[in-house]
Amino acid sequence: MTLATLVSQSVAANTTDDIDHSKYMIELGGVVKSYGGNTILHEVSLRVERGEVCSIIGPSGAGKSTLLRCVNLLEQPDDGNMVIDGQFVDFTENLGKTDLMALRRKCGMVFQQFNLFPHMSALKNVVFPQMHVLGRGKAEAEERAMELLKRVGLEDRADHKPSQLSGGQQQRVAIARALALDPAVMLFDEPTSALDPEVSGEVLNVMRELAEGGMTMCVVTHEMSFARDVGDHLVVMADGRIIDEGDPKEIMAHPVNERTKQFLSAVGR
Amino acid sequence: MVPKEPLLQFWGEGLPNMLHGLQISAALAGVSMIIGLPLGLLFCMMVMGRNRVVSTIGLVIVEIGRGMPALIILYLVYFGLPSFGILLESFPSAIIALAWNYSCYCSEIFRAGIQAVPGGQNEAGDALGLDDRITFFYVILPQAFRSIIPALLGQTILLFQDTSLAYTVAVPELMKEAYTYGSTTFQYLRVFVLAGLCYAVVTLPASWITRWLERRLALSY
Repeated sequence: MTLATLVSQSVAANTTDDIDHSKYMIELGGVVKSYGGNTILHEVSLRVERGEVCSIIGPSGAGKSTLLRCVNLLEQPDDGNMVIDGQFVDFTENLGKTDLMALRRKCGMVFQQFNLFPHMSALKNVVFPQMHVLGRGKAEAEERAMELLKRVGLEDRADHKPSQLSGGQQQRVAIARALALDPAVMLFDEPTSALDPEVSGEVLNVMRELAEGGMTMCVVTHEMSFARDVGDHLVVMADGRIIDEGDPKEIMAHPVNERTKQFLSAVGR
Repeated sequence: MVPKEPLLQFWGEGLPNMLHGLQISAALAGVSMIIGLPLGLLFCMMVMGRNRVVSTIGLVIVEIGRGMPALIILYLVYFGLPSFGILLESFPSAIIALAWNYSCYCSEIFRAGIQAVPGGQNEAGDALGLDDRITFFYVILPQAFRSIIPALLGQTILLFQDTSLAYTVAVPELMKEAYTYGSTTFQYLRVFVLAGLCYAVVTLPASWITRWLERRLALSY
């Protein structure tokens, strides 16, 4: 067991430690989630520093996506707590609508299936949430949207509907849509799993640029090279637990944990 | 036996009254639709809502409305409500009965359309921090509506045909005019063929449009 694992297992809300909590964007403590008697997450604790790219890897069914979805409460965990961008959340309590929306506003989320709004143009997809969530005016929202579409290389596709765009382009619009709300942290749930390898690259490039810009990112991924080259922090999950975590290059080059070794050799690393 | 006059001449003499009846039928269907569509959406939102009580009330309204023949609803409104001191003219009675019946079927069509929208759309709305109501009206409903337009049009064609029931409470619509013409000339076959043609003049093009729309909407956005 690495030192990092030991540290992360002390609960996030533990107030008697002498850790500087302000350097963390997300601190998850003892997160438990089960569906009808099936426990998906077993007291998972995790710290993500500000400006860090945290890659979460592991076999399917490990609970990676569920953990990510607990962070913005698309799933309500059964137990545990979280501090996100300084805001404390007790998962055993039902959050009010206002708190929930404030919390979700801190997170931008990118889905495997993009989930763009198919009846709106690329531009409208990015403009519409800004107007309704942040109350931005149309002109301001459009200006920001065009700026972001340009950043993901799609300013000339602004008027296209999602169905007229390739998968990689749709995913880049989805990234722009999430960024438009100025989130503190970006959550990526297998962002390239639905894409051909040749178009995955364009999405990964956008993510790499985002990381270089200092964005805090949690990425559930099967892209080992992304996790190694762009990631600052690697989390390996299996059977609803974090089995290994630490420096990506270190873990990938010299895995100590048996399950980690197994998984890495299975994915060809 | 009196020699019959030529068919077209016979139809020509009856047509002005029948066309007037057709106008009344169209008005009945039109008003019932304008009332019934939003009402159907309301019922659907009640049924699908999270509030148990509201949802049950919605379900009862819809199931009664769909479970009873439109004719019985019409009789209950026209002959039944006076027992509670509510006396309605035949035209408003017909509209209440038809609109209720129609809205209940539309409610189920709306529900099917809403449930057919992929769950990821709601999730995207949640993840973006959009209010549930905003997501429903701006994201879910437009997509649902698109997929159910053919079904709604089909239901509206049925509504138009159902207006013939209003004849039983003496609304001077197409069926009533046809019956009057038939009972004065005793040439029921000729009269009702003409009446059928009058209905078909409206319903056939409407179903062609429906089929055309269906093909158009099956294409992606």
